[in-house]
Amino acid sequence: MTSRAETAGRQAVTRRREGTWIEAVLAHLVFAAVIVFFLAPFVWLVTAAFDADAQAYIRWPSQLTLDNFARVFTEHDFGRALGNSALVAGLTMLLDVVAVSLAGYSLSRMDLRFKSAITYGVLLLQTMPLSATMVPIYGLARAVGLRNSYLGLILIHAAIELPFLIWLMKGFFDSVPRYLEEAAWLDGRSKLRALVEVVLPVARNGIGVVAGLSFLAAWAEVLMVIILVDRQDMFTVPLAFYQVLRTRGGYTEVQYGMVAAMGVLYLVPVMVIFFATRRMMVRGLLSSARGL
Amino acid sequence: MARVEYDDVTKQFLGQQDRAAVDHLTLDVADGELLVLLGPSGCGKTTALRMLAGLEYPDSGDIRIDRRSVVGLEPKDRDVALVFQSYALYPHMSARDNIGYPLKVKRMTQAERDRRVARVAEMLSLGTLLDRRPARLSGGEQQRVALARAIVREPRVFLMDEPLSNLDAKLRTHTRTELKALQRQLATTTIFVTHDQAEAMTLADRIAVLDRGRLLQLGTPDELYNRPVSLFVAQFIGSPPMNILAAQVRDGALVAEGVWRLPLRRRVDAADVSVGIRPEAIALSEPASDAQPAEVLVSEPLGSETIVNVKLGNALVKVRAAPHVRPDAGATVHLRADPARMTLFDTKTGAALP
Ligand SMILES: Nc1ncnc2c1ncn2[C@@H]1O[C@H](COP(=O)(O)OP(=O)(O)O)[C@@H](O)[C@H]1O
Ligand SMILES: [Mg+2]
Repeated sequence: MTSRAETAGRQAVTRRREGTWIEAVLAHLVFAAVIVFFLAPFVWLVTAAFDADAQAYIRWPSQLTLDNFARVFTEHDFGRALGNSALVAGLTMLLDVVAVSLAGYSLSRMDLRFKSAITYGVLLLQTMPLSATMVPIYGLARAVGLRNSYLGLILIHAAIELPFLIWLMKGFFDSVPRYLEEAAWLDGRSKLRALVEVVLPVARNGIGVVAGLSFLAAWAEVLMVIILVDRQDMFTVPLAFYQVLRTRGGYTEVQYGMVAAMGVLYLVPVMVIFFATRRMMVRGLLSSARGL
Repeated sequence: MARVEYDDVTKQFLGQQDRAAVDHLTLDVADGELLVLLGPSGCGKTTALRMLAGLEYPDSGDIRIDRRSVVGLEPKDRDVALVFQSYALYPHMSARDNIGYPLKVKRMTQAERDRRVARVAEMLSLGTLLDRRPARLSGGEQQRVALARAIVREPRVFLMDEPLSNLDAKLRTHTRTELKALQRQLATTTIFVTHDQAEAMTLADRIAVLDRGRLLQLGTPDELYNRPVSLFVAQFIGSPPMNILAAQVRDGALVAEGVWRLPLRRRVDAADVSVGIRPEAIALSEPASDAQPAEVLVSEPLGSETIVNVKLGNALVKVRAAPHVRPDAGATVHLRADPARMTLFDTKTGAALP
């Protein structure tokens, strides 16, 4: 009986495939168009970065060269911007991992009064557009002397992603069975050390996702850097990037090769982190969705 | 030396309206004793254990180890080891590190740690498994690692929450025997939770039977088996369970299920009672004036014995017979009960009559 049902099912599938091959072709064409549309800028970045005479359109490099990359560092002190970005994003990541571990754990485990209100409040914060709070953030940073300061950038970048990451991490903690930490307590550990030695390692996928996302967010963030920093030597990558585009643009010749080289350098860490953590991310995002 | 006392302990969870998870529990566990908490699922066994471990907080009452109250202590300061039903092995550590973890917590040197882990591993034949992670161990192996982690610390008290329930039947009986031998050898006070009466009977020095959070009876396996204080205990302990028959007292004798006249050796005030007779307290006999004829429903040969199921009025009576006794269904047998081994219960309250 089952076998007949299976056969019937298989026939139906086959028929559907045969009957609609035109649809399949169309679907592939649409996908191809979408892919081309999204990939084109990246193709331009890569080809132009290695082109001795880069243009504003995609073409095979007239002459392959690494010159653009060298000039980025010699003519624009891009190394300093990379360093600034790495410092700010790295410390933001550390701060977020610590804060999110503690906050996510609390929301997952503790019997707090108003817990669901707090949890949804956190989510509400995330949905607020950042630009709405731009002015007060500027004023506050100025008042407490956190403009043109790495600490200021780190604090604000860490804070921006905090609500979302707390939610994410709460989901990871929800999927770690309670009896594991209880076992650690009974083995003689304090609650904090049980968290560090047992819960966090078991939830390491979540920590990986939080670390990756917070680093990337801080690495890519522009708006807060613009309002908080005006000292050239503190510019992060996106700002340095923007500045090259602006000062060399207009009536003078745009240095497309250098812009593209900067773009590539800007994207490399993003790709590295993405590929390093993609498994964790998929597993993590799935399990946190299940935890809701 | 560790004596455990529950003193009028009550715990009611939020959302439990009408009854408490643990209801005025008073229990005294002697040093070195193996006490089994026995009861159906949901009767509060785990909650009682977790309160002693410090994982739940009692609403009222006191819990003492060696006469010192532990209610205010963190789990880490109680020096008790708990074997969880799910084992709770740390999945990111090898079996060796799992077992050694409590020693690491005590800041024992690596050498001392290795020595103790090796000794316990030897005791539980874990030698070749020490480098594996829990995910690569079978259920029985995980169970032994969990046990090793509890033993290696030499805690004041062992707590075990249905540690055998995830094992298959054969391994379960085997581990049960080993566990008992091990507990004798270590002589550490142990509270063992189970819903399996056979497990309780084989392991326990004393059994505490719980139902709906209340302690019904506390006693040795023999006491519980032979002198149950209530219908609940009588039916919970023993396999096959005690036969419970409705009976009336008529002119100095008992009439069970309206047909079976049983001798009554004492005065009973109530008119309606229940009489409990263990399957082995009934014998199949030759036809005689004092033997009750009954129709056989089915015989269940078990190798070492046969359980003969007979119909008596509306009731089903189980009789334990010799292995070669196999009356056919529909045949008539004659029952004779041992008057010394009958227990009478008040049908209304379920309490055993004195
Ligand atoms: N954390 C909890 N929250 C609410 N009710 C609980 C909790 N833990 C146990 N209970 C309830 O308390 C009663 C006793 O539970 P438990 O001690 O786990 O029983 P057992 O271990 O004997 O099966 C049950 O009715 C159970 O539903
Ligand atoms: Mg339980």
